[in-house]
Amino acid sequence: MKTRSLKTLRLVPAALALAVMAACSTTPTTTSLLDQTRADFLAAQSTPSVAANAPLEFKAASDALDSANAAAARKESLSEIDKLAYIAKQKIATAQEVAKQKQAESEVANAGRQRDEIRLEQRTAEANQAKSQANQAKADADAARAQADAAANSARSEAARNAALQQELADLQAKQTDRGIVITLNDVLFNVDRAELSAEGMRTVQKMADVLLQEPQSAVLIEGFTDSTGSADHNLQLSQRRAESVRNALIGLGVKSDKIATRGYGEAFPVASNADAGSRQLNRRVEIVLSQNGAPIANRH
Amino acid sequence: MTTIHHRYAGMCALVALLGLAACASEKTPAVADVAVSRQAVANATSAGAADLAPAEMQSAREKLMRANQALAAKDYRTAQDLANQASADAQLAQSKAGSTKATMAADELQQSIRALREELNRTNATSQQ
Repeated sequence: MKTRSLKTLRLVPAALALAVMAACSTTPTTTSLLDQTRADFLAAQSTPSVAANAPLEFKAASDALDSANAAAARKESLSEIDKLAYIAKQKIATAQEVAKQKQAESEVANAGRQRDEIRLEQRTAEANQAKSQANQAKADADAARAQADAAANSARSEAARNAALQQELADLQAKQTDRGIVITLNDVLFNVDRAELSAEGMRTVQKMADVLLQEPQSAVLIEGFTDSTGSADHNLQLSQRRAESVRNALIGLGVKSDKIATRGYGEAFPVASNADAGSRQLNRRVEIVLSQNGAPIANRH
Repeated sequence: MTTIHHRYAGMCALVALLGLAACASEKTPAVADVAVSRQAVANATSAGAADLAPAEMQSAREKLMRANQALAAKDYRTAQDLANQASADAQLAQSKAGSTKATMAADELQQSIRALREELNRTNATSQQ
């Protein structure tokens, strides 16, 4: 009986202890702040930049959370657990902020490099632009020079051509008049009382044709004249035929027919008196009026 | 009788000494922690945390003040707890200020990079004309 009661007395504290332990294992001590802090810690842990950029702060936060967890495991008072959890929570947030700062600083460094690269690119682009502008300017200058050279050349060749033309006109004994340049083919160039050109006359007409071919814009009026010997009608026809003869000769030498007009005046417009043979010879003539640059030839009156 | 009395007196003295020792061992770390938190608050302030993390800064200052009051009242436990919390708050405030400034600098730089890139694109566009 005595041993039995002693046994029972020994069993009661053991049962009590078991009951307390059971209570402990089913309801572990925690606070909402500690739960919140644990969640914050998990979030920080799953953020790679925190461990990478703020290792010391993260370690401190981890240690602080360990202290809070240990206090909870030791079933310390809720206010004690909260005190430690609060510190841990603030340290976790600090680690996050430090990580954020480091990340922003590396962005700044990176952006600085990027900015330098862009500035370099900008300078390169500006240099290229300046170079291409310089090249363009050089090309423009070259083109202008080439154009000036060409103009000078063409002016030179124009001048040379003019000089040659002037020489030919001088050879033809051309006279500058109000109506244009007038070349007189005198009687010697025609056989007597005939419209056909003599060999000498053909040479003169050849020179005339050269001038006209070189001056494509020029046109000619061929005027025939006679002396007062013979009937007026005959003289008119003869002057007309002689003018036509010169025209045909020119056409035969390649001058376009539409540039050549003819006119017979007979014994009109004498240049000498008809009183003696010498004067009459002067009156027997063909005059070629050369218009330059397509200007129309004024009629005689 | 006198021996017993002496023995009691000795025990009392010992208890009193132990109590004092306990008091002294609590006072030193509390004073140190309050000093640390004062420094933390000063650091955060000079980092511009008053403007950039006003809530944390306010909390840190208030806890530091209360820690000082607890120290004056010889409530070393409370002084130490408040000082530790004030330190944590001040450090958070300082790091917030730092991250805000760095983020602003990064944003500003990105902005200027955008502007530079636009300028570059314009330059390239005109040089290609």
